[in-house]
Amino acid sequence: MSTVAPAVPEAPARPRKPAPSKGIIAAFVVAAIFTVWAARSIEFTLMPLFTNLDNGWEIIHQFLNPSWGFIFRVWDAWVETIAIAIIASFVGVVLGLVFSFMASTVTNRTRWSYRATKVFLSVVRSLPDVAYVLIFVALVSIGPLAGILALIVFNIGIAAKLTSETIDAVDTGPLEAADASGAGTIARARWAVLPQILPNYLSYCLYIFELNIRASVVIGIAGGGGIGQVINVQFSRFAYENVAAITVAIFVVVFVIDQVSQQLRRRFV
Amino acid sequence: MSTRDEAASRPRQPSKARATATWILLLILVGGAAWLSDARWGQITGIFTDGGRYFRLMTEGLLQNPFSDPWAGYWTRAFDAMIESVHMAWVGTVLGAVLSIPFGFLAARNISGAVTVQLTRGVLNLIRAVPELVFVIVLMLPIFGFGPVAGALALGVGAIGTLGKLTAEALEGVDPGPVEAAKASGSGRLAVLRWAYWTQVLPEVMAFWLYRFEINVRASAVLGIIGAGGIGQLLSQLFSKRAWDQIGITLLVIIIVTVIVDMVSGAIRHRIIGGGKAKKDRVRDDAVEVGL
Repeated sequence: MSTVAPAVPEAPARPRKPAPSKGIIAAFVVAAIFTVWAARSIEFTLMPLFTNLDNGWEIIHQFLNPSWGFIFRVWDAWVETIAIAIIASFVGVVLGLVFSFMASTVTNRTRWSYRATKVFLSVVRSLPDVAYVLIFVALVSIGPLAGILALIVFNIGIAAKLTSETIDAVDTGPLEAADASGAGTIARARWAVLPQILPNYLSYCLYIFELNIRASVVIGIAGGGGIGQVINVQFSRFAYENVAAITVAIFVVVFVIDQVSQQLRRRFV
Repeated sequence: MSTRDEAASRPRQPSKARATATWILLLILVGGAAWLSDARWGQITGIFTDGGRYFRLMTEGLLQNPFSDPWAGYWTRAFDAMIESVHMAWVGTVLGAVLSIPFGFLAARNISGAVTVQLTRGVLNLIRAVPELVFVIVLMLPIFGFGPVAGALALGVGAIGTLGKLTAEALEGVDPGPVEAAKASGSGRLAVLRWAYWTQVLPEVMAFWLYRFEINVRASAVLGIIGAGGIGQLLSQLFSKRAWDQIGITLLVIIIVTVIVDMVSGAIRHRIIGGGKAKKDRVRDDAVEVGL
């Protein structure tokens, strides 16, 4: 045994820091340029926050004194909003279920109709809800009916997308069993697929109902009835204290419905 | 034994009473809603009487030579307005993304204290419950006036809610290995957060940002109708004039640009999450999760 310590093997040199990938640098440069371009084209500025606060202050002051009584004076509009959301969600998710069966290769074995459904759904989803309200207002005139029809179309798009993705991922066992026992297209969709996706589907339904309540402001402002219409009228009359009261109430309604529906959804999935 | 015979017989169908009751309740609910909604159902015929005519007018607008005089102007105006909407959505997303980072860290249970987490989550839930349109009406228009800046700020504030929550959830799901390694090598608290936590969640979080951008492109159209500029404003002007040929052009522009944005952003998201050889099945559900 020697007292001479064996030559300490030289500690491996610290590895060189890898150079950042060129792709990432390029991506960040592009993102930065796009941000600057976008900000300049909309003339983005935070200055009004300092210069215009006094101008805005008067309005904000009105906002801070909401006239709570107004919430109950427009009781009918609240009922209308909830009713619109219920009908539109129900019809939308039922039709959406049919479309989602057509938009998955698992349940739709006809190539061309699968493709056509996919394209149709992506076009439906690419238009914002406002566009549908405006179209239906032109067709059936201002009122809750326009809101209901617009939301139905909008809901079909979301329900079909979410559900068809769930259908894509179902267990193939029951499908084979159904095929082996000679089930037709509708029978295998109903008995081999539907029971598997039902929990997710119900949870999407509740989610869509939530979205519809949230959308009620937009719907009404565009002419589709409900509480949004009240906001629009009060806003154009500069009755900010009424707008503020409705806003707070909408917030509470959305929050409560969100919480209830989240509890329910947790039970389904 | 007789039990064997019973086993061989077809099992009895489970009771359907509950399902039937649920259906009856649901139909009563929907029927009641149809009655209470105050909708004039008779006017639904308008779809069949006017629908075809309006559709033909819209198609006529689309079929005109887009380089001849009035039509070229319509196409340019629609594209300009849509680009403005996309810009508004992008600025809003960038603002929301930047602001949501601290909220995400404050709302992650494995990083912040219990009280901070509860408080931050409360704020995030609050933001998520308010529709963007309300942000515009309440906060932005009085101070920033009509225009896309108010819209971008509203989208930004609105995005904090979802992005903050999703970032927090991603941070809670990190692999503890790198965190331990960083601590063992004597890293400070900030270094641990930056190099052990943030690096792990960055791809996922960036995918959330892009997904939010896709949502914001649609939302920015909505904000336009209350005067926040962009395609929504153009659309509501055209509808009040009933200029169907121009409406047709504008709707087509919205569809084209939205589909392109979705495709580009979707491809980048798949690349970020799936790495070089993007695995489709891994990524397919991310939109669903984010959406919920």
